[in-house]
Amino acid sequence: MARFQQYEEPPRALEGLKVVELPSLDTMPFMAASMAAKSFADFGAEVLKVEPPRTGSKERALGPFRDEMPDPETGGLHLYLNTNKLSVTIDVEKPRGRDLIFDLLAPADIVLNPNRPEVNEKAGLDWRTLTTRFPKLIVVSITFFGAESAYKNLRGGDLVATHMSGVGYETPWHQVTDPENQPPLKLGGRQSDYLTGYTAAAAAMCALYSRKSNGAGQHVDVGQWLSTISMIRPNIGFYSHELRDSASFQRLLTRRKTAGQWVFPCKDGWVSFSAGTDRFWRGAKKAMGNPEWMDTELFDTILGRVANIDAIEAGVVDWLSTQTRTEAFEKAQAEHVPCFPVHSPAEVAGNQQYKARKFFIDLDHPAAREVRMPGAPCKFSRTPWRIVRGAPRLGEHNQKILGERLGRSNAELASLAQAGII
Amino acid sequence: MGTRPLEGIRVADFGWIYAVPHATAWLGALGADVIRIETSGAPDLVRFLTGTDGAIGANRSGVFHAINSSRRSLALNLAMPKAQEIARKIIRRSDFVTENFTVGNMAKYNLAYSDLVKIKPDIIMLSGTPLGQDGPFAQTVGFGPTTQAFAGLCHITGYPDSFPCGIGGTWPDFAVGTGMVFFLLAALHYRDRTGQGQYLDLSMAEMVTTMMPEAMMDFLMNGRDQAAIGNRDESMAPHGVFPAAGDDKWIAIAIATDAEFAQLCEALSVPSMASDAKFTRLFGRLANVEELEREIAARTRVHQRDELVAKLRARGLAAGPVYSTPELMKDPVFSESSMLVNLKHGEVGERVVPGLPVRFSEIDLEYRGAPMIGEHTDEVMNELLGYSAEEIARLKEAKVLI
Repeated sequence: MARFQQYEEPPRALEGLKVVELPSLDTMPFMAASMAAKSFADFGAEVLKVEPPRTGSKERALGPFRDEMPDPETGGLHLYLNTNKLSVTIDVEKPRGRDLIFDLLAPADIVLNPNRPEVNEKAGLDWRTLTTRFPKLIVVSITFFGAESAYKNLRGGDLVATHMSGVGYETPWHQVTDPENQPPLKLGGRQSDYLTGYTAAAAAMCALYSRKSNGAGQHVDVGQWLSTISMIRPNIGFYSHELRDSASFQRLLTRRKTAGQWVFPCKDGWVSFSAGTDRFWRGAKKAMGNPEWMDTELFDTILGRVANIDAIEAGVVDWLSTQTRTEAFEKAQAEHVPCFPVHSPAEVAGNQQYKARKFFIDLDHPAAREVRMPGAPCKFSRTPWRIVRGAPRLGEHNQKILGERLGRSNAELASLAQAGII
Repeated sequence: MGTRPLEGIRVADFGWIYAVPHATAWLGALGADVIRIETSGAPDLVRFLTGTDGAIGANRSGVFHAINSSRRSLALNLAMPKAQEIARKIIRRSDFVTENFTVGNMAKYNLAYSDLVKIKPDIIMLSGTPLGQDGPFAQTVGFGPTTQAFAGLCHITGYPDSFPCGIGGTWPDFAVGTGMVFFLLAALHYRDRTGQGQYLDLSMAEMVTTMMPEAMMDFLMNGRDQAAIGNRDESMAPHGVFPAAGDDKWIAIAIATDAEFAQLCEALSVPSMASDAKFTRLFGRLANVEELEREIAARTRVHQRDELVAKLRARGLAAGPVYSTPELMKDPVFSESSMLVNLKHGEVGERVVPGLPVRFSEIDLEYRGAPMIGEHTDEVMNELLGYSAEEIARLKEAKVLI
């Protein structure tokens, strides 16, 4: 039946935009540009992913691989991060490679460049060269420490940025009991890389709007360090507004944070739970069945609760030890108290809320066969996020882009391939 | 001369707490007219989360100031139909509507997307909620820090073989807010080309899960349910936080290659460790990671943190100090960066707050201090909506305006 009907896929928001993603040449994985480019590609922009010849980009080497069999075409990170992209292989460090890059950039709207200034200068791809040569191009530098700061050539990455931003110092939140043996902690996976990717995507759109008003491209300087610092904005407010000897300020100096926001064990796992505000405190009391220990005016104000946080935490832990995750979640939410089960990745994948919203998508990929992966970060009613093409084979689009579009002859392409440039 | 690219764009902002105000701080800095619609029934609790110089008050919250720059504030009692009518008048003159109430609240105020397209067909509305607008758990309440548990992030954050962890920095509110900027501008880009608006339904948990591909793909492809691995990385070693001399001083070190490891050993004055067969190659370092970390920690703890950081950086290694916020604020590069701006706030005067974490060569970012509650009520009512001073006074008396 379906095949007799004319069905037109809805449009995507960024169709018509042209984005070029340059490869990170650092020895460590740095996924920010790849995430930014994925955001553009999945909302409809044409993204040309430039990869180093032979090895391809870092995510191809990282897996996770099905059954632990390394294969640059079927690694999970590659399959996820490179959806909807076109792959061309170019050695950007060689002059002939750079000339190809210039040709790719001429019609492009946005270039995402994840390399440090000294690396770019050596390759002749620094932002001044690019903005001068392509006055309408939006040149997005995605670096560890910014393209122009005194730290610009330092190496960083997910771990270093997380810990230099203040986020690592606060993690784990409220659970530090043995500071000497519990160092500050980074977040699972590569959170700082990915959030930097979203920052770059947002900033590139801002620059696109600037170009709409005056026709000019520009340099957009996105650094992983500042992007991650942006996650502790409230702390900067505490710092600049509070007296040095106040509890709010002192809280910034210790890793043993206390606040009515917890991750605590329960009968069959863990839950997050928040009773910081007066309203949530009253709700929590009801959810927990108005136990006697909560019935004191000492706990009626936030200051009183902070002063008695140990007693409160002990009481909450005690109650949770009699509840399953589902029971705690349902009882707390019934009283409008923020509480959620701690889910493992497997539980996220099987969760009925995610299922009901069709969050995970299934893809029939030529090399990886059927793969399921996380879907849209935001649901657009008219121009939904959509995968039209699975992650590309390494250099899959060399012929189409370098040959057909840039008009390089077969002989020229062969010579470039011979020289290891493509 | 730079531009303010969103000049002429208006945002009717019902957002509160962190994620949406963070997004609209970007839009305001880019020149959009952000009208923060506050309601007396449920004032933003961030206004009372902390105070200035020890005194708490609606216009004294440092945290509020840190997040709510570059906007106007209009205070309405949204429970009253008359106030809802004013909100609709603003929306009729707006391009974006942003909100992050619990699902159903906007409908209660007759301000759901289905209400708004009737009065402004090309409106772009974004709703940010813990788990999205539909599905069995759509009605949940939650902040980012509690929601990330649902999304899987707490489970993979923690020490090896230990408990799941809560995350600092009010994670992931600001990551989600940054994503919102991209989504809103993508929808605006589409509207510019087609004249069509739309509704954006953002689930915080889903967005967090889009940022966990390593763990999610491992499960979806291999059925392996990853657990936390502390500061480690599966493709680098050492990759961790090591003690330095003094109390609670730490250094983060990420070593990607064998050559970098040799450099690290030289810097720590143990070149022999690089030729120890257990550690020479990456697979050996990964296989013996606990012993490796012990050996490194024994040598880092005799160094002053910042001296060791400088030494490692001089060798081209990825290393940095672990900063608390007060230490970060004193970092010579950060303290001079364009991300810190000194803005005026009605009741407390000039204070340093964070601006955007990015720099544009051709955009003049416009920062204004966070507004006092209702600071611009008269201005918006009069200049934008054309109400006379008498009408405004009557509406205040009737408690429609606050």
